[in-house]
Amino acid sequence: MAEPGLRLVHSDDSVDIDVLVDRVARGDSAAFARLYDEVSASAYGLARRVVRDPSRAEDVTQEVFLEVWRKASRFDRRLGRAKTWVMTIAHRRAVDAVRRSESHKRTDHHAAPDEMTHDEPSDTLIEAEERDAVRGCLDTLTELQLESVRLAYFNGYTYREVATLLDKPLPTIKTRMRDGLIRLRDCLEGAR
Amino acid sequence: MSTELHTLSGAYALDALSPEEAEQFRSHLAECAACRQEVRELTHAAALMGEVEATEPPTELRARVLAAADRTPQMPPRVRHLPSGARRWTPRLLIAAAAAVVLVAIGIGYNQLQEPEQQLAAPVAQVFNAPDAHRASMKTANGGEVSVATSPSLGKMAVETDKLPELGKGQVYQLWAIADGQPTSAGLLEDPDQGAAMEMPAAGIRVAITIEPAGGSEQPTTEPIMSVVPSQV
Repeated sequence: MAEPGLRLVHSDDSVDIDVLVDRVARGDSAAFARLYDEVSASAYGLARRVVRDPSRAEDVTQEVFLEVWRKASRFDRRLGRAKTWVMTIAHRRAVDAVRRSESHKRTDHHAAPDEMTHDEPSDTLIEAEERDAVRGCLDTLTELQLESVRLAYFNGYTYREVATLLDKPLPTIKTRMRDGLIRLRDCLEGAR
Repeated sequence: MSTELHTLSGAYALDALSPEEAEQFRSHLAECAACRQEVRELTHAAALMGEVEATEPPTELRARVLAAADRTPQMPPRVRHLPSGARRWTPRLLIAAAAAVVLVAIGIGYNQLQEPEQQLAAPVAQVFNAPDAHRASMKTANGGEVSVATSPSLGKMAVETDKLPELGKGQVYQLWAIADGQPTSAGLLEDPDQGAAMEMPAAGIRVAITIEPAGGSEQPTTEPIMSVVPSQV
């Protein structure tokens, strides 16, 4: 049985978000506004972490929600929860934005993941606990797994770029990314 | 199944593949249910990592987003996972291929997580506009027209399908690659106006289009409306 309050994967609020997306698919603008309220901090926060520039992060966030609006009818909850779907769109669009225009401007490679600070959103205890659980699980990754995963996910690097940066063979980086995410997945499953 | 490809699941879930590699990996996913499951789980783990970064956006963004959505039409739904009930194609359609190669199609909507539709049109135009492009147009059995282009330098082929007749609600155009007499789905033409681009199939592999029930079929259930051997275009 899960610890009280620690509901990582099938939490009640994720059910709500699935329902909201279903309503958005039927053109429900109120549901879309509610969906925005529920997930905009996650989408914007991720976009901001990846693209850095707040105003570009806003543009990315707008693109994300427009894609969600347009494609809500294509969302299939059997393939995962709605929030993951939104976050996946957010990540892809943020990475696209970075690769499109900043491939030569980015300077701070290694430092970024740990040294950026953010205003934590005012949120519930449950969300704070979820974040702590993810952070705790990230700590179980090996250094190379963590670095590979973070450079790819938060800096928007391809695995080839990560291999170059870390001066490691491609297959090593490929494997570390996969093993790192598997470890994160398994750890979060256990925490549920 | 290629182990080599399989180990890319982590990089794929992190959006850390080049567009070409991502295409290849998607075609691998189309044939590997276990890989799809793994990608779903790893993508979920990555998303949870992303959620740690949550930061409230500026309040004015909300009105901007809602207003933009208000001006934006929504895409119609599609039906997935129809029962197969497929039958084999008649032998006259099956041309043995010299080598089996996996046909990589963009424009497949099988995985909602990975398929931004705005990526479809550009690769199609790229192939058609390539300096070394071979192009051919052909009438289809249902009264439409399809253009095919191949580009050796890009190693790709593309089809323009905007002149295909519009289908009824419960139907969809489906692309097939036929190797050694065995059709393999190369994806649905979710939006025929966009066409589709794919890796150049090996010599002798035939590409065909059928009309299938919405959601597509495991195997063709109707006769093709057109077919072509891209290496001979």
